[in-house]
Amino acid sequence: MSKHKFRASTLPVLATVGPVSLWLAFFVAIPLLYVLVMSFCSIDENYNVVFQFTLANYRNLLDVNYLQIYVQSILIAFFATAFCLVLGYPFAFLISRTFQSRKTILYMMVIIPFWTNSLIRIYGWRTFLGASGWLNRALTALHLIDSPVEFLFNRGATVLGMAYVLFPFMVLPLYTAIEKLDQSQLEVSADLGARGGATFFNVVLPQTVSGVFSGCIMVFIPSLGYFYVADILGGGNSDVIGNLIERQFQSGNNWPLGAALSIILIAVTLLLVKLYQKCGGDMQSLGV
Amino acid sequence: MKKKQMIGALLALSVLLGSMTACGGKISTTGGGSASTGGTSAAAGKGGLNLYVWTEYVPDSVIQNFEKQTGIQVNVSTYSTNEDMLAKVKSESEGAFDIVQPSDYMVEQMIKQGMLQKLDQSKLTNLKNISSVFLDQSYDPGNQYSVPYLGGVAGIAVNTSKIKDQITSYADLFNPKYKKSIVALDDYRAVLGMAARSLGMSMNETDGAKIAQIRTQALKLKDNIKLYDSDSPKSALIAGDCSLGFCWSGEIALAIKENPAIKIVFPKEGAYVFFDNWCITKGAKNAANANKFINYMMDAQTAKAVSDEFAYLQPNKAAVELLGGSYKNNPAENVPEDVIQKGEHVKNLDTATLAKYNAIWTELKK
Amino acid sequence: MRRKKSERLRRRAGAVYCGLIYAFLFLPIVVIVVNSFNATESKPYLSWKGFTFDWYGRLLQNAALLDSFRNTLLLAAVSTILSTIIGTIAAVGMFKYRFRGKSVIDALLYIPVVIPEIVLGIALLTLFATVNIPRGMLSLVLAHVTFCIPFVIFNVRARLDGYDQSIEEASMDLGVGRLKTFFHITLPVLAPGIGGGALLAFTLSIDDVIVSYFTNGQTKTFPLKVMESIKSGVAPDVNALSTLILVFTVLLVVLTQSGLIRRLRRKR
Repeated sequence: MSKHKFRASTLPVLATVGPVSLWLAFFVAIPLLYVLVMSFCSIDENYNVVFQFTLANYRNLLDVNYLQIYVQSILIAFFATAFCLVLGYPFAFLISRTFQSRKTILYMMVIIPFWTNSLIRIYGWRTFLGASGWLNRALTALHLIDSPVEFLFNRGATVLGMAYVLFPFMVLPLYTAIEKLDQSQLEVSADLGARGGATFFNVVLPQTVSGVFSGCIMVFIPSLGYFYVADILGGGNSDVIGNLIERQFQSGNNWPLGAALSIILIAVTLLLVKLYQKCGGDMQSLGV
Repeated sequence: MKKKQMIGALLALSVLLGSMTACGGKISTTGGGSASTGGTSAAAGKGGLNLYVWTEYVPDSVIQNFEKQTGIQVNVSTYSTNEDMLAKVKSESEGAFDIVQPSDYMVEQMIKQGMLQKLDQSKLTNLKNISSVFLDQSYDPGNQYSVPYLGGVAGIAVNTSKIKDQITSYADLFNPKYKKSIVALDDYRAVLGMAARSLGMSMNETDGAKIAQIRTQALKLKDNIKLYDSDSPKSALIAGDCSLGFCWSGEIALAIKENPAIKIVFPKEGAYVFFDNWCITKGAKNAANANKFINYMMDAQTAKAVSDEFAYLQPNKAAVELLGGSYKNNPAENVPEDVIQKGEHVKNLDTATLAKYNAIWTELKK
Repeated sequence: MRRKKSERLRRRAGAVYCGLIYAFLFLPIVVIVVNSFNATESKPYLSWKGFTFDWYGRLLQNAALLDSFRNTLLLAAVSTILSTIIGTIAAVGMFKYRFRGKSVIDALLYIPVVIPEIVLGIALLTLFATVNIPRGMLSLVLAHVTFCIPFVIFNVRARLDGYDQSIEEASMDLGVGRLKTFFHITLPVLAPGIGGGALLAFTLSIDDVIVSYFTNGQTKTFPLKVMESIKSGVAPDVNALSTLILVFTVLLVVLTQSGLIRRLRRKR
């Protein structure tokens, strides 16, 4: 690549980078700073936000109930991520290498469900798993069960829902990483008599670990916020941090508390992203 | 990698083109007057009306009929609890919604906050259809800001094919044997109010010690509630997901229609009672249309059409005459007067108390 | 010989595994498609009452639903175009020039990508409520462009990584203007990245629930309409519309795929 750069005269910089800077300032930086400010505000008796400094919102967050929901939310995100990784890794490997000749169409078939609205797909699970849903009716018809099994409205159902909507976000980075694997190294390893397991841990995994990390980040973080999955499949019994925030901006009518909850969520996110970068994760691969 | 991006580019292009042509034709046929494309201001021109109403409460057919009669284009948004509505109306620019549908205590709250405007009594010629029992309530003396729409109680639904015990009270719902069987309203004032009633307390307690008792009682419900749903609790009852329900009487009435094994129980402690009302927001951009709409809703035929679809207590006595026996003799719909008398309304509480209620709610729902 | 056999067995097991994963991915979609043919009339539209095409016809009468779909397409198209333009020139600028504050912009770009959508949603809600930007199509476009821009920039940037600026210089040396060079030299090279970014932006916008939920005012997008209809049981006409969208996208994929294959063959 040519090292030579145009001398940065101001006009072209302004013309190219100006719009995006303004946009990011107005719609990312300022709103987030405003949320931070609001998290230290109070509300009056009419639920209006008043700019009166208080730490009460953060004190409220230390309440044991909130702490338990954070833990629950993190566990839900963890299991959803694990579910996606365990099922998604072999799958990504198979579609990108084993069935290489058809990989484009196989890849597209992961994307296609995406084009159907995620809410209605989640509701599809509810129809499938409900007490009088397809699965229960099938099991009853086969005389495998007498009374309907309760699949819905618990943490497991929420985990399933999160894993389902976010599964492609795990598969796509894995696919990209596995696709780049150096075939000759695999062959050398096999020729040297290494067993499948050894080849996997010594050659395959280290080369694809970046895909694993970005997949995990892209599943874990959103699962902390997807309140509608917890509502539809969890039935309101397995709230995630997103539900807490949503409630304060809706029925709770307490924006400062909701803002403080958001700040916590941002902090968790930044922590995870830092961790990701520490592990050598490439930020760019989160967005492509 | 290159190939993938090529495909991506092709796809993007064709989708864009496809979508433009797909919607292009329609946009030109409906013209610019479509209420839904321009948000707050679009319906403000001639002939618009922005409604913000409860989910499953105003029949589509009734609204379409109004549009046909008047040429006014109605844009409907829905909410699930009074508090949700309050939050959204407050966060919007003034007058974004023309009409809201708050319950009794919320009418009072919104008047207090100066969020409503007085109704144009001269336009409300159908007010005479409303039974005086429902008029001139303490939350809005003289009906300056509100007229009643429908009412009811938060009753108990029992699927008698699954629950053989006699259920007579809110307190019965706390029985540990009904583990994971209740669908409850996703509404903290309702659920905590119910817990309070089951202890013989008021739904509007402000005393710290009593609230602590309500908390202990409410948490006993945690294992029994399988699902929170304010919008359509009947779905879970009909589908058999839940065999008990703590929900709006109208929802129970509809569930009974689908499955006669479901019965309604009015708790002996006295039920949560509500009246919902039509109100016009302050700064409403279509106030004249809003008054027209409210008057239309009080028309006997309209009110009958409402009751045909949503089985709540109907304050419109002219409509009740039209509805006849099927309405009058259905206690789930025409909630008996003594139940209403014995029941309690939610009242506005101070924000500090509400914060305590909210904390219990979070604890219950986690 | 034995190796071949075990290889075949392995492939077969792999195929079964992939089949199961696709079943998992498509199962709710099967539910949606089947329910779009359900003749049921009563909420929550769960029990099967026989097969009918009626809902596809009634879909055309459901003005509110069609409106919401049109809103979604309009919103996605506008957001895609805006974010693609802003994002592309920004990516080029950030690649070409060194300037102060570049790292700040870089950091800000990642925020909408990594933070949970709900945070962006409430942050924009508080902003819009405070400066009183009327909620509706305008606020939705502002919100959607915000979360689309970074994806466009990343895609274009990935394309720029291997970009040789010397052709540009050559063009300018020949006296071609800066803008003209951009349109004739730079843009064609970047096209696949721009297309990929635009596709991603469009996809994200069309499926967005959470950010729209907080910033929509009374303008309903299709996902928000679905959210509303979920409250009372998803009506078969919503399923019908979803099915049509699905069929349309699948057809599109098939068409572009086969077009690509044909072109490759011709080359050979």
